[in-house]
Amino acid sequence: METLAQTLVSGVLTGALYAMIGIGLTVVFGVMRIINLAHGEMVMLGMFGAYWGHRLWKLDPFVSLLVWVPLMFVFGVFLYRFLLRRIIPGGELNTLLYTAGLSLLVANLALFAWTGDYRTIALSYGVSPVRPFGIAIAIPLAVAFVLAILITLALWLFLSRTDLGRAIRATSQNPEASVLMGIDVERVAMVTFGLGTALAGAAGILLAPSLYLYPTVGELLIVKCFVIVVLGGLGSVPGAIAGGILLGVAESLGAVYVSGAYKDGIGFVLFLAVLLYRPSGLFGAGK
Amino acid sequence: MALLEVQGLTRHFGGVSAVSDLSFSVNEGEILGLIGPNGSGKTTVFNLVTGFLRPLAGAIRLDGQSVVGMRPHAVARRGIARTFQIVKPFPGLSALENVTLAAFLRHPARRDAEAAAALVLGRVGLGERLNEIASRLTLMDQKRLEMAKALATTPRLLLLDEPMGGLNATEVDNASELVHRIRASGVTVVLVEHVMKAIMKISDRVVVMNQGEKIAEGRPERVVEEPAVLAAYFGKHVA
Amino acid sequence: MTRALPAALLGVVVLAAIPLATRNSFFLHVCILVLMWTVLGAAWNVLGGFAGQVSFGHAALFAVGAYTTIILYLKCGLAPWWGIPLGGVAAALVSFPIGILCFRLRGPYFSLATLAVAEIIKLVALNWESVTAGSVGYLITSLPPVRLFGLNVNWESKTPFYTAAGALAVVALLATGWLRGSRLGAYLVAIRENEDAAEAVGIDTVRAKVVTLALSAFLAGMGGGFYAFYFRYVDPDAVAGISLSMEMVFIAVVGGLGTVAGPLIGAVFLTAVAEVVRGRFQTGHLIFYGLFMMLVIRFMPEGIWGRARRLTARAAAGE
Repeated sequence: METLAQTLVSGVLTGALYAMIGIGLTVVFGVMRIINLAHGEMVMLGMFGAYWGHRLWKLDPFVSLLVWVPLMFVFGVFLYRFLLRRIIPGGELNTLLYTAGLSLLVANLALFAWTGDYRTIALSYGVSPVRPFGIAIAIPLAVAFVLAILITLALWLFLSRTDLGRAIRATSQNPEASVLMGIDVERVAMVTFGLGTALAGAAGILLAPSLYLYPTVGELLIVKCFVIVVLGGLGSVPGAIAGGILLGVAESLGAVYVSGAYKDGIGFVLFLAVLLYRPSGLFGAGK
Repeated sequence: MALLEVQGLTRHFGGVSAVSDLSFSVNEGEILGLIGPNGSGKTTVFNLVTGFLRPLAGAIRLDGQSVVGMRPHAVARRGIARTFQIVKPFPGLSALENVTLAAFLRHPARRDAEAAAALVLGRVGLGERLNEIASRLTLMDQKRLEMAKALATTPRLLLLDEPMGGLNATEVDNASELVHRIRASGVTVVLVEHVMKAIMKISDRVVVMNQGEKIAEGRPERVVEEPAVLAAYFGKHVA
Repeated sequence: MTRALPAALLGVVVLAAIPLATRNSFFLHVCILVLMWTVLGAAWNVLGGFAGQVSFGHAALFAVGAYTTIILYLKCGLAPWWGIPLGGVAAALVSFPIGILCFRLRGPYFSLATLAVAEIIKLVALNWESVTAGSVGYLITSLPPVRLFGLNVNWESKTPFYTAAGALAVVALLATGWLRGSRLGAYLVAIRENEDAAEAVGIDTVRAKVVTLALSAFLAGMGGGFYAFYFRYVDPDAVAGISLSMEMVFIAVVGGLGTVAGPLIGAVFLTAVAEVVRGRFQTGHLIFYGLFMMLVIRFMPEGIWGRARRLTARAAAGE
């Protein structure tokens, strides 16, 4: 039987992983003012990277982070440099439509390559949960949670302590002034997009052992991602973290106390409510 | 009864009081200048009067009837038109198409609207440039276009937001003359402006704002000498 | 409109001639698909191309039409010539609350809101089993032949469906053409160019958008109703999925936003691609839709028809 504590804990753990998806998108928006509709597919690619790594090479998903995250970073840089860079000057809606096309392309290429069958990653240590204080926590979820925190910490250190990180924050706050200060805004954009993609991939890997995997999961994730990012304010990393946890808890509570079937709908309703009443986010951090 | 009456108008943004308990009236047929240092709330007043923003408190009445809570298009229909500080044309359309869209308000048939639009464009001095694309007009012409769009809605009251910003001396004189012609045709004008010379010459009366409040009101020559006004513009240490 | 009249008449003549010229079932099927997608592309184009409001949730309106029509047939025996327009009306009615909600937002925020609304409607379709039969959906097992205007209508042949699809496509394109020349159409251009300026000159932007959405929904809903009768099966995945919304976007964008013939061109192009790719996969064509969307935005944002018109205009001016 689910206790309130159990529900909350599950919500927070899942929420942290949702937050990771949101961070990638919000960082990209903050710097480049673009909404990347293909972000969900980047998460999906991370998920399947973890899956195939495990299936083909018996690589533990969490270890495969070391392999996939750098690759996804490079992939993101490539996407920006060769595809997106020419599109962005065409305007917000053009970019939105372009990333919509990219999303469809990637999702369906994956569908073609890997079929729509639902897949899972069966880990030996995923079978029985640990039970601290009587609350059941699946081990992969716990490990993912810890890693998510570490990655977020690393990101924070990067953004606040390194020159490049500061350049990213500066560009996010004021692109025109950044150019005047001698910041290579192009390079910042490229790195940021690579970073956003890498974070999406990482989120996918962390989530992979805990979810059913299928190529079109991006559809669902992208909307959840927008819920998170809009809740927290577009462009705000702390906002994305808070938004992710909020969504995770809301879904968890909703699934248990309202209705399991409409669980996903909770996020959508929350999303619409925020868009209409507090468009700058619950924490007022966004534009 | 004044044409426009504003009483106790108040509006905040976050923690900042943009307009605070502001009251003034505009008499029919006059040119009223609205001046004050940057950030004193002048454009906010325009946005409140024309329905782009809702006031927190206060009354706004045109001919005795309240316009608070009405959306901008309804306010325009009632007879209050405005221009924007940074001009907002329909950039990809020609000057004629721009003003025709405004003329539709009073002339539902396209042929009539186009004719009315052409007339208005002639009055503001754009008669030769009807088919030029709005985004390619010079700044002065874009400002004329902005006024033409507002005038095509046959307003009783016209709010001009810094119509002379960015213009050179000759253009400022042309613009001033245009404002006089507009008033002569029966439209009451409220003018926000920073070009002091122009506004002092054109206005019958001025209202001075600072930090959201009215600090002075009256004839231009009188108002510039008031200590509160001097302090607002030059700081408190000027005697 | 009068300029295009000869071309339009020619189009209608060709349209009418096709089923007389061939009995090839497959070819007629492809034509029916093209016509249906023309209707859907035109529906989206009304809102997205003319009013500049990019919706990623149009499948929801299609779904409302599809479900309404199929339920009215299966539960009340209502014939398609009543059911399909009613499907359109139902979709238009549903579009009012959607519009009032979503039009408070602009640009990409509006687009995201439509995405959320569409997903909610799909969830409702999946779970409101008493009305929508959930994931099981509705199936038309038999369509008995009927007499209409003294003619025997045999649902086993493609002809009645071709005629219906053709009629809907003509209606959709005529509606678009009317819109373009009307005052509402001019208002939509104003809204697209500068919404604040439009309000300032007395244009009721909310009303214009809501009315346009209703028209768009009506067309999409009728498309859905047609789908229900032609494919005879309606379930949430088939009619309310996001890829269907995206397909509608793609047809309008690839064909030419804000043009009348654009959706037709887009439908022809993308259906051709889908048929060529038909090979292994049901949804393999979506790969190419995504690819072409990216190519069009990159190289031809005005769409195929938009580019063609620009080239002919330039050629005419250069002579």
